[in-house]
Amino acid sequence: MDCRAALLKIEAKADGLLPREAEAGLADHLAGCPACAEECAAISATGPALRALAGIRAMEKAPALDVMRTRVLAGIEESREAHRRRSWVARWAWVPAAVALAAAAFLFYPAGTDRSPFHPSTFDVAVEDVESETATVALVDKGDDLPRVIWIIEDAKT
Amino acid sequence: MMLLLAAVPSWAADTVSIDVGSVYASNEGNSIDPALGTIRGKLQSMFNYTSYRMLDRKRRNLSVGEAGEFELPGRRSMRATPLPSRGDKVRLSIQISDGPRKLLATTLGLRRGGMVLVGGPTHQAGVLILIISAE
Repeated sequence: MDCRAALLKIEAKADGLLPREAEAGLADHLAGCPACAEECAAISATGPALRALAGIRAMEKAPALDVMRTRVLAGIEESREAHRRRSWVARWAWVPAAVALAAAAFLFYPAGTDRSPFHPSTFDVAVEDVESETATVALVDKGDDLPRVIWIIEDAKT
Repeated sequence: MMLLLAAVPSWAADTVSIDVGSVYASNEGNSIDPALGTIRGKLQSMFNYTSYRMLDRKRRNLSVGEAGEFELPGRRSMRATPLPSRGDKVRLSIQISDGPRKLLATTLGLRRGGMVLVGGPTHQAGVLILIISAE
């Protein structure tokens, strides 16, 4: 193993990417190469130093991160609450609309087009007077359970 | 809404709702219009036609003394005027015309919910029967 290959393995080891089976070969080279051993020691020391620095910076930023986390959680909860309010409104919004529609139908329903079937409650009818200028008129009474009939016999037609 | 509903009885008591159905009776086919409701059997037992079809139906809410015009099939027309009456009785002045010809003038007294038939005017291959009811 030459020093160039050893340097690549040293960097890989520092990054935790060196395969276990390659460690023996690197160790043999470091044992016989003081320059690479020194480089390895320096690079190996850099990782913990960087991790320590990152830890320190994280501790410094922790309060700010806590505030940010609190804000994010509060925002999520507020969004959920707004969604719940919208859901409630959407669930019951039809009620006033239905009431308004029923009132409009009650007030403006066109009575002239009612198509409900005929259900007379009585056939008790008194014909006070009846006359025709151009036809003969007959009154037909077939009993209380049948409607009275006024039959127009059009002269020269019927 | 409650105010509207509360106002209905007084409004209804002062007016008469007149319903006029125009039925074409003929011997063309054997169909009975389901829109005729319970009156179908009455028509079949009273007349000898094989087919009854409702051509039109109109309803007017009229005050006493107020005349209401009802257009009928075949350029005919009917004028109905509620007259003063007592209790649950309704009195109606009915006039039926065929253009300038006055076919019928009559005064009827019937209970609210009652019905009377006026028939005979020729229409196409049959006759016209008017179902007149008042509430």
